[in-house]
Amino acid sequence: MIGLLLYLALGVGLLVFLWALARRKGAPVEGCGRQFVEARQALRTLQLGLLPENLIERIFDQEDYRYVTATSPGEIGELFLQERSRISLMWVRRVRSEIRNLMHFHLAYSRLHAKLSLLTEIRLALDFALLLMACRALRILLYLRGPYGARSVVRVLAATAGRVCAASEKSLAFLNPPALESFRRDSAGHGAAI
Amino acid sequence: MLSLLLWQAGLLIELLLLVRSVQTKTFTKYIYFYAYVACVFIVSAGLFIGHSRLEFYEAWYWPTQFATLAMGCAVVLEIVRQALADYPGAERFARVASWVVFAATFCYVEWHVARRTVWSTANATVELERDLRVIEALVLATVLAIVFYYRIELGKNVTGMIVGFGAYVGVSLTTLELRSFVGPRFDAVWPILQTTAYFFALIVWTVALWTYSPNPKPPDAGSGYDALVHGTRERLDSLRSQLRGVAR
Repeated sequence: MIGLLLYLALGVGLLVFLWALARRKGAPVEGCGRQFVEARQALRTLQLGLLPENLIERIFDQEDYRYVTATSPGEIGELFLQERSRISLMWVRRVRSEIRNLMHFHLAYSRLHAKLSLLTEIRLALDFALLLMACRALRILLYLRGPYGARSVVRVLAATAGRVCAASEKSLAFLNPPALESFRRDSAGHGAAI
Repeated sequence: MLSLLLWQAGLLIELLLLVRSVQTKTFTKYIYFYAYVACVFIVSAGLFIGHSRLEFYEAWYWPTQFATLAMGCAVVLEIVRQALADYPGAERFARVASWVVFAATFCYVEWHVARRTVWSTANATVELERDLRVIEALVLATVLAIVFYYRIELGKNVTGMIVGFGAYVGVSLTTLELRSFVGPRFDAVWPILQTTAYFFALIVWTVALWTYSPNPKPPDAGSGYDALVHGTRERLDSLRSQLRGVAR
């Protein structure tokens, strides 16, 4: 009986796949320059704008809330909590959207590479899936428990996103002109060129 | 009666498909696929001519069925080759995944056969066909998953090949398993379902392969870089004109 169910599931699953293929609208042929630029921007936004540790600490740490409740009336604390919830949800939305941008770029780029590594691809696919699921879970948790109720999920999300960013950075390395790289190496710590 | 009618109509469509492939020269592009159609046409025509003599039909049905089954695997190879030809990364992924699927199915079938105590030739042939269909279905599903995952655009010809052959394999697999489970009682419906599914596949192939329509080419690295340079130039021009406006 289990065998029958397995074979039937395979047959029906294949037919569903075919139905999806027949209904699929023509996907745009990707890989053009604009996509590289968008991916680069997504990577920058993630690395510099959304994933820095101090920003995550700032949004999800209770320190500010404790300070506000200790120094202001209760309704100000409530207002602060509402605003912090809004900001945390916005953060998750932005992270999710930039991760999707990176994922689309990675798929469009890696499918053309003859020396594609299967293990890396599978690991990255799992990372992307985990990230998108973590974003969904985080949004639900933030709705239910407020901005300070999901710190462990935020930590997992930030760590996995960092790993994906590192992989994407390698793919996009060719967009960094060598002259700029040497310029960057010769510059002082605060960014001013010597 | 219905299955006889579908059989005759199927022969005509196969002939039409082969003639059209010569006219449009598509047989040189999809050589394995048309070899399969030609093989099925020859086998079907031969069986149709001799179907009134029961002993001839019974003696030739299973050997010719195995020949078409083996050629069916060539169609799957053709689909993998054509669908992912311009995407070396995705093609490599599909090749390795297909080998894994093949090895896993083969091991499972071997293990299943080794455990069996009662052996019947009639059941064994049906099960062998079903197991080959399982491999074809799994490889097709893997290719489709890769096509969806990497958002690969397919041309009308290859889409038609996949939809037609996939539908036939899916229906065959389901009906073969039901035949194994229900037994000879299912024999009244089984040939009609199989013939209808194959007839559907033939119609899909005729429509999809009427004219040559290859897969859209992905942009190469060169055109990607060109587009990047073009975009940067456009942005620089717009910045320049804005600066001119400020200077005035």
